[in-house]
Amino acid sequence: MSELDFFLDKSKLVGNDNQILSSTEFLTFLEKEDFEYVNVPSFNQLKDVQAGEAGIKNALVELDYAIAETGTVVIDSLNENKRLATCLAEKLFVVMPKSKLVSRLNDVADFIEERTSDMGGYVAFITGASRTADIERVLTVGVHGPKEMTVIILNDL
Amino acid sequence: MGIQDKIQEKVNDEILHNNLKGFATSYKASKINAYKGLDFEALRTRVHDIKDRDLSKVMEQFNLFKANVEKVGCKVFQANTGEDACKYIADVMKKHNTKYMVKSKSMTSEEILLNHYLEKEGLHPIETDLGEWILQLANEHPSHMVMPAIHKTRQQVAKIFADYTGEEVDPEDITGMVLIARRFLREAYFKAGVGMTGANFAVAKTGSIGLVTNEGNARLSSTVPPVHIVLVGYEKLCDDFNQALDIVRVLPKSATGQIITSYTTWIKGRVPSHKNEDGVKETHYVFLDNGRLAFLEHPKFKEALKCIRCGSCANICPAYEMVGGHVYGDRYIGSIGLILTALYQGDAAAKDILKMCIGCRACSFNCPAGIDLQSLISELKLVVGKKYGINPIKEKVFKNVVAKPEKMKSLLSLGASFQFPLTKTNKSNGEKIISKVPLLPKEMDFRKFPALSSKTFTKLFHKDGYDKFTSKRKVFFYPGCAIEYFYPEMGLAMVKLLNKSGIQVDIPKSAACCGIPAIASGNPDNARTMIFNTLDRLNDVEQYESLLVLCPTCGGAIKHEFLDFTSNDPDRYKKAVLLGDMVTPFGKFLEDNKIHFKVKGNKTVTYHTPCHDERSLNYSAEAFLSSVLGKQFTHLTDTNVCCGFGGTYSLDFSTISNGILDKKIENIVASKAEILVTDCPGCVMQINGGLMHKKVPVKVLHLSEFIDKYVEQI
Ligand code: SF4
Ligand code: SF4
Repeated sequence: MSELDFFLDKSKLVGNDNQILSSTEFLTFLEKEDFEYVNVPSFNQLKDVQAGEAGIKNALVELDYAIAETGTVVIDSLNENKRLATCLAEKLFVVMPKSKLVSRLNDVADFIEERTSDMGGYVAFITGASRTADIERVLTVGVHGPKEMTVIILNDL
Repeated sequence: MGIQDKIQEKVNDEILHNNLKGFATSYKASKINAYKGLDFEALRTRVHDIKDRDLSKVMEQFNLFKANVEKVGCKVFQANTGEDACKYIADVMKKHNTKYMVKSKSMTSEEILLNHYLEKEGLHPIETDLGEWILQLANEHPSHMVMPAIHKTRQQVAKIFADYTGEEVDPEDITGMVLIARRFLREAYFKAGVGMTGANFAVAKTGSIGLVTNEGNARLSSTVPPVHIVLVGYEKLCDDFNQALDIVRVLPKSATGQIITSYTTWIKGRVPSHKNEDGVKETHYVFLDNGRLAFLEHPKFKEALKCIRCGSCANICPAYEMVGGHVYGDRYIGSIGLILTALYQGDAAAKDILKMCIGCRACSFNCPAGIDLQSLISELKLVVGKKYGINPIKEKVFKNVVAKPEKMKSLLSLGASFQFPLTKTNKSNGEKIISKVPLLPKEMDFRKFPALSSKTFTKLFHKDGYDKFTSKRKVFFYPGCAIEYFYPEMGLAMVKLLNKSGIQVDIPKSAACCGIPAIASGNPDNARTMIFNTLDRLNDVEQYESLLVLCPTCGGAIKHEFLDFTSNDPDRYKKAVLLGDMVTPFGKFLEDNKIHFKVKGNKTVTYHTPCHDERSLNYSAEAFLSSVLGKQFTHLTDTNVCCGFGGTYSLDFSTISNGILDKKIENIVASKAEILVTDCPGCVMQINGGLMHKKVPVKVLHLSEFIDKYVEQI
């Protein structure tokens, strides 16, 4: 199994929608969809909003790393609005340049260390929607945060 | 309420029973899946190594953490007691003039009864973990460390929510209930002046914490309010992110059978926070001692501080499954709960609950931090047994009978001669049993008791002339009490079989108990006498190939407990080490010596793996039986889960013992086997007694008898 297949497998397991697109297809997708919050530096796409109690409909963010071992996306969320958006969006879309895929959890140890070395740091591992099984162990999504998560994998970056 | 009443109440709680039973089954399957392709032993050894450190190392980690966060303007408070921690947290809230604090789940806050303290101060902590919130509204405490409300049904939750919200709640609609929580708790994040979280990790290298959650409530609690308080025990410190990530690799897999949780969050100190005047979060770290630091220096109990709070020692504990976490534990729950109750709250709080451990050792082999939990529980049982005394009748029997082998022999032979008015032949299998035990309380009447054998094993051994040694090949056999007094036929079957292969069997000059009954009851002084008796009666081993046992509990005692109890007696210790190395379960001896068999007849057979075979002697006869029997062998679901015997445990905690046995019998019936083989006389006594009581026509045989009757040597 390739590393990407491994990632896709784990990501699917937690209920994520995974889409593999080329950069051009992604730009077409961007035109069609309407996002309330966007933070995709690789395409210079930024749209800022401070999500509040009512939450926001959706958010699109680019990840820093993806981890094949667990199907996890790693997002530096020090920016408060980015943190609020990823916590409070009903639907979370994550953009993943394929080159950002690493194989093991420990491969991001240095990254976390670097990002938490100064005054403040906030590195999030996200693997699926917000979930609970606290009532009769029935798996239910969207207890506090996003109810759905989509990973858009850019296969040419 | 006394412990027995509490147990009774929980055992009768059908909702709890179904929830825990369902969970135990599904948990095991998902855990196996989550660890697929990984080397669990290697992973947990790694966690154990990371956490293996003394007080000075922990303080070194702490000082580095502290320097890192203070440098950037965070506050660090070292709380000696729970009360100190509570007060500090209340003061922070008061200083910020806020009545509300949102909290993500923290067992440490349960430990110090934080909510209780804050409420007395007129402050309002709001639990944001769904399970914890449900319990907070219901004014209860968690019954599981990871799934706090596992004892509640959807209908009960609907009622709690309806009472709280004043809204109508559909008692079947779990998604609807989750959305209610989402709505109410969302409001709470925004009105709270302070957010509190625990920490799964405190990473010294950069002064960061790591939080492992599924709901995302810790993210919101640490993001939305302007102030963040972290309450953390010193044992959560680690050096760097590589260590923390090695623990992340196992924690969710062991906790819920997930490969990873939805969120793992790494936070360092002063992040942007628009609600603060200076635009930066105010962060406080409360490091809690509350008695833990002292134990970092203790040679054995320091192990308990390696716990990563996955909660799985409850998930696989057969006794927990019967009674749940409101009885099995206190503030902390499951096997580790028994231990931490004793260490943090004191032995008086733990003395009753420790006894509920049946000693199956499942927890020791399951812990992702590699903690030998059962040994710690056993150690603590001895401590509280000595300090508070044990059941006086038991103590007398141990002291005056079991610890005096000659007295025991004459008393039991008297019993064997005079029991006949009480005995009868059990119809279904022709075995001699006690027809009615006089004055037996109803709850203990869940299995038939075997009659004492009219002649002891030792007597029959000599009578049958097995004591004339001619062969070069000799093994030594320790029969133990069960075979000596109840089941000599198991021992004789083995002797006969080995003789056929030219291997002669020698036995102790006279019988003595291995001490396990006294150890399990927390009675160290009599245990020591019994162990010395046994050691002194066992021959020097040099002339034998092996020390064979048919009771793995006795074998495990010789291998492990004998060492602990002889550590101050060099001669006996040396002998115990030599003997321990030679202990071999009978099945393993047959396999090692390549004695081959083929099956006679066409009966379907299944196998129960005794706890101490697998987890004290590292052996199971399953592969052996399955290769001899081929298609006639059928696997028993949960074969290695305890049968509920535990010696006198089955009388002291008969309701739990019976509940565990019921599950075993369910699985035996489902296997459709005609014969159940096992290789422990205690398991035979329990399972056979239960099957006879329920009139289930499955024959139970010790491995040695089974081989004698149903297979032949080739
Ligand atoms: S003692 Fe081991 S199994 Fe129990 S909660 Fe702690 S880490 Fe998990
Ligand atoms: S040894 Fe068995 S009964 Fe005792 S705590 Fe561990 S799992 Fe539970």
